[in-house]
Amino acid sequence: MVNLLIEQYQYTTTPKYNFPHSIQDLQLPQQFIELSLRTLRNIKNGKLFQPYIPTQSENPTTPTLEETTLLFNRSTQPKLKPIPLKPIRDETPIIAVDVSSMKIGETEIGILCAIRAAIVWKQKQQYHYLRLGPFPFHITDENRNEVYHLFRQYSFLEQPTLDYTNTLSLIYAPTRLGSLLERWLQMDIAVQTRNSLILWDGSLTAGTQDFPVAVMSQLLETARSRFNTILAFTKNTRLRLLGHCLTDYIHKCTPPCLLEINGYPMALSNALRLLGNIYVAKLSEGNCSFRLDIDRKLPLEKAVEATGRLMGNDVLLQSYPETLRLAHIYSTFTANEVIGIQRFLARTHRLKIVTKPNVRKLLFGPFGKGPEN
Amino acid sequence: MRLYRKEGNTIQILCFPNERVEKGDYLQVEDPKKEKALLIQVIDVQFANIPGIMEELLRDSTNNSDDINGRDLDPLDVASQITLIQDARLLLCKIRGTIQNGKLSVSSDWLPSRSKSITKKLPTQTLATLLKINEKMPIYVGETKEFSPLKVDVTALDGKLNIVTGKKGTGKSHFSKLLVLSLIDYGAPIVVLDLNGEYTHLGYTSNGKESEHYAKIHVLTPASNFKVMLSQIKLRVMINILIHALNLPGTSAQEFRRIWRFLREHTKLSLHELGEAIRNRQCNHHVKDALFSRYYTLINSGFFTDNPDDAITLEDCFEKIQTGGVLIINLRDTSFVDRQIVVEYLLGKLVEMLSCWKIKAVFLFAEEAHLYLRETYWNDIVTRMRHFGVFTTFVTNQPDTIRENIYRQADNIFLFNFTNEHDLETVSRAAKVDSETVKSIARDLPPQHCLLLGMAVKDFPIVVKVRALDVQTMGQTRLFFT
Repeated sequence: MVNLLIEQYQYTTTPKYNFPHSIQDLQLPQQFIELSLRTLRNIKNGKLFQPYIPTQSENPTTPTLEETTLLFNRSTQPKLKPIPLKPIRDETPIIAVDVSSMKIGETEIGILCAIRAAIVWKQKQQYHYLRLGPFPFHITDENRNEVYHLFRQYSFLEQPTLDYTNTLSLIYAPTRLGSLLERWLQMDIAVQTRNSLILWDGSLTAGTQDFPVAVMSQLLETARSRFNTILAFTKNTRLRLLGHCLTDYIHKCTPPCLLEINGYPMALSNALRLLGNIYVAKLSEGNCSFRLDIDRKLPLEKAVEATGRLMGNDVLLQSYPETLRLAHIYSTFTANEVIGIQRFLARTHRLKIVTKPNVRKLLFGPFGKGPEN
Repeated sequence: MRLYRKEGNTIQILCFPNERVEKGDYLQVEDPKKEKALLIQVIDVQFANIPGIMEELLRDSTNNSDDINGRDLDPLDVASQITLIQDARLLLCKIRGTIQNGKLSVSSDWLPSRSKSITKKLPTQTLATLLKINEKMPIYVGETKEFSPLKVDVTALDGKLNIVTGKKGTGKSHFSKLLVLSLIDYGAPIVVLDLNGEYTHLGYTSNGKESEHYAKIHVLTPASNFKVMLSQIKLRVMINILIHALNLPGTSAQEFRRIWRFLREHTKLSLHELGEAIRNRQCNHHVKDALFSRYYTLINSGFFTDNPDDAITLEDCFEKIQTGGVLIINLRDTSFVDRQIVVEYLLGKLVEMLSCWKIKAVFLFAEEAHLYLRETYWNDIVTRMRHFGVFTTFVTNQPDTIRENIYRQADNIFLFNFTNEHDLETVSRAAKVDSETVKSIARDLPPQHCLLLGMAVKDFPIVVKVRALDVQTMGQTRLFFT
């Protein structure tokens, strides 16, 4: 019965929209939807354990690249000169992509999660968006292999060099699936657009399972070949230079400006590679500044020019581009949506929603803080 | 629908938009284990306080602006469930009773299981059957929300004080006419104090033909076909007219009594003889002036006559409606003072006839009674006169003109829409139901919809769409532009 219900779903590939030029042909990978449906088939009539709903910051994610391994060499005295920026108004299309993943609950045999992506683009002073999902997944020990297979298939490599099977735990599955979708969308946008600015949420550091160097390099290469520029914004960087947070160095500078951090030796793990030049960007008045990664193979002038284009063609609030802000807003799950997805799963797969006891609360009462797991 | 919480006698129920529930609906919360159900009534429908709803709405509000457009690709249609959550409703309900073994009781000293209970709508028709409100002598008042006919027992009006109230144009007079015609059908004698002449065509159908009730409807217009002779009037009634309607001072009233007794002893009670007697009376000239001025007011009212052919007696009129009928006292073109004279006479005469059992009882419909009823009569009507057999129905669009103690003693309140807070506050003081119910439901009642409160519905408030009547409407406001 459950299977029959799943078979009834009607899904289509993304229709054409008013994307800038060739992005109109953007299509959601059918395998992604099919994987979602297939994993849901594993749900037997049973219980959906209501999880402790973590806040966004508590949502278990794979450790980010920069914070764990990336350290700047402390021996060198920094000589940072701000690069002043000028806005360039030339109607360059700006495209931002962001993906959210959320654990929806647990079943007796696995976890339920949902992934949603949002692409926002600004063209001719008009914002547009395409929201993809939510796509619910039921990840179990049994179907993990199938998920790994998809990871391999969409690692954009003929012969993937990384072995996922031992490393993808169920806890990190939502984030990993989200990364997969994000990477795919980033690739598709890079392929389908020209002369555009593509904004990512994150950095251009590669070398992990979700951010293979080869994949990232190919992405950047594709973008470059189509005269696109990828700008990756990191909202909260913990990178430090001589003990100070990177963004501290730009506080005294007059915006709009960039601080180029490259040139300072860094200690990296063997696997990690910086594919972008790291800047600290303060693009407008306000207290905020961000780590900004721009393709290492682009000359400084081009990077500065791209940043100027961003300033000239997008709204900046606290130095953060509106397009990327909207992409984040459109992809993020609210608590209400989590309830809605739970209800969807409960209804379509006859799950009974059960509130799992919070062990911390049981043991420690009012002192039981933090996530249950 | 799920039971969410209980506070005092208020129950909160969560429901989704596809579960159609409106204010006034009855729900039963069944507890399968206890084999009984809590009967609750929806008094307000709110949005459920969903976590994250503010973020949702803010995000969606950007979709509607001109600055951003786009669409969602949701192949699994998960969003439909999210929308459902967004639109989830919280029903505020009042506990009305318990249904157990097919019987309804007002007990509410138990609580159904929150996790196991099943909440579903209880059709009004089923409630009416449980309440047994339509068994003996049913009046078809209208349709329930489920479009089934609602009937109430006419005996719920017998010996009772009723109030029909609501703002202008909501259907009060229409409902009063419905009650009048229904009472006629059951053989009840009725008197209508018709301030605006709205009932004068009650005997005609909407296309102007005589209706089945035509023969039982008698319109009496003071100074026209409703005139009385002084000899028919008791001194007490006349003194009441002089003192209360015409403000005659006590000393002058005393002198009038002497004159009246003298004329009665000499069987000379007539307008002419009264005038002569005042003229020839040896008394203080101020008293004489006072008596003369009242005398001329009585004459000018046109309500009194010395011609036996012009005069009628209320006894004769009541004879006509003894087996069911209505006397409509058309006060439309009657001045304020004359109205008071007529009403004083009528009520005095009614009490007189009732006290000597000339008539068994009478249903009195009083439209905007504050415009002709003197202060002391209000209490008189709901206490003393009620015991004599005057069963009054007040019809008003100004609820504050009826005193609070009248509301408290009202057996039935037929409430139409009010939006004014002050009016709602006044009506909500009625002891028959909690004020929250009255305020919340009455505020949103559509035209021609009535909230029945009181004995007619055994204190279970029921909303009904009042049925149409095939009568000629006369209460509509005259318009200039159409």
